[in-house]
Amino acid sequence: MEKKLTLNRRRFLKTATAAAMVGTAGALSVPRQAEAGEGQLATLIDLTRCDGCFDRETPACVSACKKIKAGKLPEPADPIPVPFPIGKVEDWSKKKEVGDRLTPYNLIFVQKADVEIDGRKKTVYIPRRCMHCDNPACATLCPFASNHKFENGSVVIDPDTCFGGAKCQAVCPWKIPQRQSGIGVYLKVLPTLMGNGIMVKCDLCSDLLKEGKTPACIEACPKKAMSIGPRKEIYAKAEALAAKIGGYLYGKEENGGTSTLYLSPVPFDRLDAAVQKGPGKPGLGAVKRRMAGTDGMGKAVLAAPAIGIAAGVAGAFAGLSKRKDRMKKER
Amino acid sequence: MSLAINEEKNRIVRHGLLELAEHWVLALSGLILLLSGMFELPMGTRYGITSIPGLTWSGDYITSLTVHYVASVIFIVAGIFHIIYHGLLKEQGLMPRRGDIKASVIVVKSFFGKGEEPPFDKYLPEQRLAYLGMAVIIAVIVISGLVKTYKNIYAPDLSHTIVLWATWLHNIFFVLFILAFAGHIGAIVLKPNRPMVRGIFTGAVRLDYARHRHPLWLAEANTTAPLPVPSAGKSEDGKGVTAVIDGSPAEAAGETPASPEAEVAGTTESKRTETAGVTAEKPSREESPNA
Repeated sequence: MEKKLTLNRRRFLKTATAAAMVGTAGALSVPRQAEAGEGQLATLIDLTRCDGCFDRETPACVSACKKIKAGKLPEPADPIPVPFPIGKVEDWSKKKEVGDRLTPYNLIFVQKADVEIDGRKKTVYIPRRCMHCDNPACATLCPFASNHKFENGSVVIDPDTCFGGAKCQAVCPWKIPQRQSGIGVYLKVLPTLMGNGIMVKCDLCSDLLKEGKTPACIEACPKKAMSIGPRKEIYAKAEALAAKIGGYLYGKEENGGTSTLYLSPVPFDRLDAAVQKGPGKPGLGAVKRRMAGTDGMGKAVLAAPAIGIAAGVAGAFAGLSKRKDRMKKER
Repeated sequence: MSLAINEEKNRIVRHGLLELAEHWVLALSGLILLLSGMFELPMGTRYGITSIPGLTWSGDYITSLTVHYVASVIFIVAGIFHIIYHGLLKEQGLMPRRGDIKASVIVVKSFFGKGEEPPFDKYLPEQRLAYLGMAVIIAVIVISGLVKTYKNIYAPDLSHTIVLWATWLHNIFFVLFILAFAGHIGAIVLKPNRPMVRGIFTGAVRLDYARHRHPLWLAEANTTAPLPVPSAGKSEDGKGVTAVIDGSPAEAAGETPASPEAEVAGTTESKRTETAGVTAEKPSREESPNA
């Protein structure tokens, strides 16, 4: 009887271990369905066309985004666990209607900049969302690979594995990702001790792109101020338009290059000075890719195995010749 | 290869300078990697570590990544040097042997007062197993870390499947590394192992301890190679008697050309040899200096 029990227990453990291994391998081998579109994409936001939908209560791009993302986030836990020791909870679930800044429920908003062009006062409207950078620190530094840049250029956060540590927000020069506490896998682990929700930002409507459709904000724009297409074409179009109007581009060099280009009739430092900035309201200043400073040392890391092999071989040769000399002396 | 012994000071060299350097370079760079890796998790801001004086940088991920990279270069070079150097010189005393698992069980039982431990070679069987375990853990961390580094610099849009594997293996083996490190520290806290601690700081351990607990280490030198004619005498400083006992098996026990630590080195110029210092009697519990 005891033997039978032992065997059963062993079989159970074997089965459980095998199931866990298969489960882990399965989870890791299935990439998220976000590899949208074919080839590298880019978007152009033409500020000479955008009028901020001044005649509407909410800009069309903002409404379209809110509509398509509505209900995507589950309701947060009630009460939301208070993280120890920081005690900071970020809850936007009761303020889903907010549309004048980035929130976990508002992934695009329109900034307003009153500037002078050729002596005349003019208002420039600037739709703001994730820039989908070429080498996004928010994704490469994500400790759980929850945030990833896909081949089409979209940078997408997986809400199922994100712990809401806000590292992506900290390393983003525009602080784009926004946190919603009380949602996510951290609730199933150690909610008060690890994690603090999930991070949310524009994913370029990856699911729509996968179906061959256009992102909701671009589709909804009544002024056709936004466009998406193959990166080379969009870049060429943006540069041609900038040359034609004597305008300026933003996003081409910023943070090492992005998949989002803004075309403006006024320099971006003037827009940066004119827009309201703060949490959820990014600026338009010159931005260098801070991680570029670590690339040199990173390359040294990649070279380290070869250096180690060379040092080991050289050391061993020295050791062998020393050993031979000693043996000679001893003879 | 030689075993450097100082009878007067009751010391025998267990690690050469190179081995000490390898150990401490790996240990210190490993600790820095551990710490900067934790800050990357992120922990600095989450747990208020940023408010600790001297650790305000813990919340700056670019700074902690730089620190992580610098420590990685040192750690990887030292680790691969260790494998290549000792591999080519066939100094493989830390590699597990047949029967080590069984022997380790006996040794662990003896720590809890059940039975007697067998006589040891230079390293304990569980030390050899732990070495291999730690090597596997480190190998996985290094390989996955190299993939992550490559992704950071050259391929942010690397296949998500590869990035997920690299990231999670790095994280899981990071936890295993912490456990292995805790086990390593736990092992030296055990009373019978404590005399070995001196060895990793100074290079030498107590001779009576080595004779009692590691007789196979000393015996191999004595039995498998001809020993030079003994000519024991006083050292130059007149304080100690040094014995350098030659025998190739010591190399197989993982010894590099020893640069004996200060306590022994002070007398090495008068390298007297002494066979009497090497005995391979199986120790009894009663005689144990650790009992």
